[in-house]
Amino acid sequence: MLPDEDRVPTWRRYLRLVRDNPSGDVDDELAFHLQSTVDELVAGGMSLGDARAAARAKFGDLEQISRTLHTLSHQRERHMTRADLIDSLKQDVVFGLRQLRKSPAFTLVAVITLGVGIGASSAIFSVVRSVLMRPLPFANADRVVRLSQRNGSDEMWSVPYGNFDTWRQQARGFEAMGAIAGGGRVTLTGQGEPLPVPTFSATAGYWRALSMPPVLGRYFSADEDRHGARPVAVISQELWKDRFASRRDVIGRLITVNGQSYAVVGVAPNEYLLPHPPGDAIWLPVDASPSQLNEFGDHEWTVFALARRDVGLPAALRQVTQIDTRLARDHPHSFYDGTVTARPLTDVLVGGNRLVLYLLSGAVALVLLIACGNVANLLLARASVRRTEIAVRSALGASRGRLVAQMLVESVLLALAGAALGLGVAVAGIRFLASSPIPLARLNEARLDGAVVAFTLGLAVVCAILFGLAPALRAARLDLQQTLRDGGRNTRGESQHGLRQVLVVGELCLTLVLLVGAGLLIRSAFALAAVPVGFDTNDLLVFNVVLPESRYSNNDRTRAAFEAMESNIAAVPGVRAVARTQTPPIYGSGWNWTAQREGSNGHDAGAVVADMRFVSSSYFATLGVPMIRGRAFTAGDGSNAPLVAVVSRRLGERLWPGIDPVGRRISNGGDQWREVVGVAEDVHSDGPKHDVDPVLYIPAAQQPGQNSYAFLVRGAVPVTTLLPSIRRAVASVDPLIALSGVSTMDDAMGRLLALDRFTRVLLIALGITGLLLAMVGVYGVIGYFVTQRQHEVGVRIALGASSRSVHWLVVWQGLVLAGTGVVLGVPIALLVARFLGAFLFGITAHDPITYIVVAVLLALVAVLAAYGPARRATRIDPLEALRAT
Amino acid sequence: MARTIDLLQGTLDLIVLKALSWGPMHGFGLARWIQHTTEDALQVEEGSLYPALYRMENRGWIKAQWALTENGRRAKYYKLTPAGKRQLAVELEAWARMSRAMGQIVNARGATA
Repeated sequence: MLPDEDRVPTWRRYLRLVRDNPSGDVDDELAFHLQSTVDELVAGGMSLGDARAAARAKFGDLEQISRTLHTLSHQRERHMTRADLIDSLKQDVVFGLRQLRKSPAFTLVAVITLGVGIGASSAIFSVVRSVLMRPLPFANADRVVRLSQRNGSDEMWSVPYGNFDTWRQQARGFEAMGAIAGGGRVTLTGQGEPLPVPTFSATAGYWRALSMPPVLGRYFSADEDRHGARPVAVISQELWKDRFASRRDVIGRLITVNGQSYAVVGVAPNEYLLPHPPGDAIWLPVDASPSQLNEFGDHEWTVFALARRDVGLPAALRQVTQIDTRLARDHPHSFYDGTVTARPLTDVLVGGNRLVLYLLSGAVALVLLIACGNVANLLLARASVRRTEIAVRSALGASRGRLVAQMLVESVLLALAGAALGLGVAVAGIRFLASSPIPLARLNEARLDGAVVAFTLGLAVVCAILFGLAPALRAARLDLQQTLRDGGRNTRGESQHGLRQVLVVGELCLTLVLLVGAGLLIRSAFALAAVPVGFDTNDLLVFNVVLPESRYSNNDRTRAAFEAMESNIAAVPGVRAVARTQTPPIYGSGWNWTAQREGSNGHDAGAVVADMRFVSSSYFATLGVPMIRGRAFTAGDGSNAPLVAVVSRRLGERLWPGIDPVGRRISNGGDQWREVVGVAEDVHSDGPKHDVDPVLYIPAAQQPGQNSYAFLVRGAVPVTTLLPSIRRAVASVDPLIALSGVSTMDDAMGRLLALDRFTRVLLIALGITGLLLAMVGVYGVIGYFVTQRQHEVGVRIALGASSRSVHWLVVWQGLVLAGTGVVLGVPIALLVARFLGAFLFGITAHDPITYIVVAVLLALVAVLAAYGPARRATRIDPLEALRAT
Repeated sequence: MARTIDLLQGTLDLIVLKALSWGPMHGFGLARWIQHTTEDALQVEEGSLYPALYRMENRGWIKAQWALTENGRRAKYYKLTPAGKRQLAVELEAWARMSRAMGQIVNARGATA
């Protein structure tokens, strides 16, 4: 007889059927032990009460042992739960791998699709990381700003030296403030071949504001900013490597720059050249003359400043604005109103081109979404094939959660395989991007590092959930009995098909957005190409010649040397024409020159700020700029001849609307007058994207004191082949002169438009990728449609439907998908295209031609994708189709 | 009253493993088996058997399963796992070495000069 209290409650036994009950187990086991002992003792003749007491005594400290057992038992439980999880995950992985291996075609398509999407995203991410996300190497980069003045809504990027010097002395809110300006190219001699090197003038504060330690030696001291200080120089890391073999004894060495000696005091790290790539450079002190210290009108200097931590940027800016407001009052007509604004260093160094990266990030995200849509579609198609398998598994007791987990594990496996392939794609993509000649700082430093790999893997998991969750949930929701009864034949195809159609329409929408973007850029490129730049860019060679001031201090000697070079080059066989100017078009602007017609007071419509370029007499003929009135310069327009000028069409129209400018007189505010002898056709000096500027041309012979010129050589043969002869022609005048900046005009144009082309090519490539993926998606859905409607089509054919009408029935499905995609996609594209504004030229973001062409293209692709399934449909054997039902 | 021996650390494991090597047993049975086999020489406090069993189960040496006894009651039976069998061999070997060493010490005839 068992006393009730000692019996295991019946309900607990049933509970154990459902799940393990560790606490109950411990209690039951101990109860069994005690009861057995009691039974034994009672059988031996002991009374029940005594037996119970004896059993307890024999057992020991029941309370404590029970507690210990509970603890041990719970430990075991926890351990087992974890082991179970790992175990089931292992099972899922093995099962998933087997499933994927069983359908290699599906796996291959899915992995390639994901690989392309993920790889493209990772490549762009690596560039974004390198260019935008990596902190700048300067110690206090977050507090360094570039200061600029304002003139109403205009931002004056460069600052007169006098303003800078006043700010530096009076603005207490900054720890350091420095100015830097490009000093043009110089010729470095005495270190092997004469070498053209770009120079900069920098103050001591420039180095302190950016605060990155020198590779070797030191930077300038405050004393060295002063006029007449000992001439010293800082050289770039690249120059140190190339010309000084990275020798440490370069410090203190004298280098000869344009004939003057400077003592090298330091080597600056490459970062000081940002946003430009590492290269040769020399920094010289400003040697600020008294006139420079009193210059409050010539905007020439870039000012960097390090805000004091305890003052903060806003307060420091208010202070410097107060100072500049006073300066603006003291110096009217200097083109600033006293407001000083600041831009963070990252902005300055990365520049406006970050927009391209945002654009590309968006585009790859779209491609990745399309890829995910495609894989989701493939998974849905597979799920309907795997219905029986899933139904059997769930009948065998697999819970819904377990089934979903299994499907998701499969998706993650797919995504990881895609990510592995994607890493390969990313490596190729990064190599392509990093080597492309586009002006993005630190682009060349993009590489596949830990962060990019982590991003790729993370992206894979996100994708897996994105494309895997809906199919997994759907598959697990399947009606078990129905499926088993049907023997696995699909009876719920309709809703399945619905989801797949939604996915494909979504893909088509996104593809439309991508293609509209690419299309707008292509249209802009055509519009750009249709703009005549105003001169012939073919077979035109450009290079610079700098004559060192030490040996060419005499104006006549300098002019004679340049003229001798020009005539020597002209004599080279194969050279059709040669000319000189201070800055060729496309290479930059000339000098600002306020052109005033007679009678103007300098502030009315008779004064126009023109782009002044001095050119040799053969300039217009060499470039092929037609004269629309009057004459070009001739050899007769020399230094002693009457002063003359040629105006561009735009300048002529501005100064003398409706009147022939030839014969009129012009000055830049002084009493020196020039007679206009001709009107030249307009030239897009800053490239086709920018409007033409009003230009004033002056004969080079009438502009003394110019020690550097750009030569323009027109070849009758491919012009680069003439380069050795041209070098000899220059050397015959002065063997110590180096040609610098040698390039063809076409290449220069290419560089100017490189960013546009780069963006366009990538967007087209991404658009085509999206289109191909969407095409695969359409093909899949239409193919499925045909399979589903086999019976119906069979009936139609049996009833005498022509193969043409069957064909049309299927193709119509493709058109409906494309049409829906277009209808839904166009509004999205219209919204998104607004972000493209900065990249467009000559068209608006709503350019109807682009939208129509893209819509037609999508429809064509949908028809093409439907073609295969349509042919299959026409070949359906009605007898077989009917029998199969 | 028979003289009793205090159990050495770890000896209980060996005893349980050895006992289970004959076949599955529940905790109560195990206690009785030890009692009879050693003729009460080993005074195992019955309760202390269970923590040992649970620890061995957690180590994977033994496995537990609920089953009915001859009297139709539910009891938790323990049986050796393959890991438990290996462990038994290890402990038997250790025990043999130990008792050989002890024997040599007990029978030693004094230190040689």
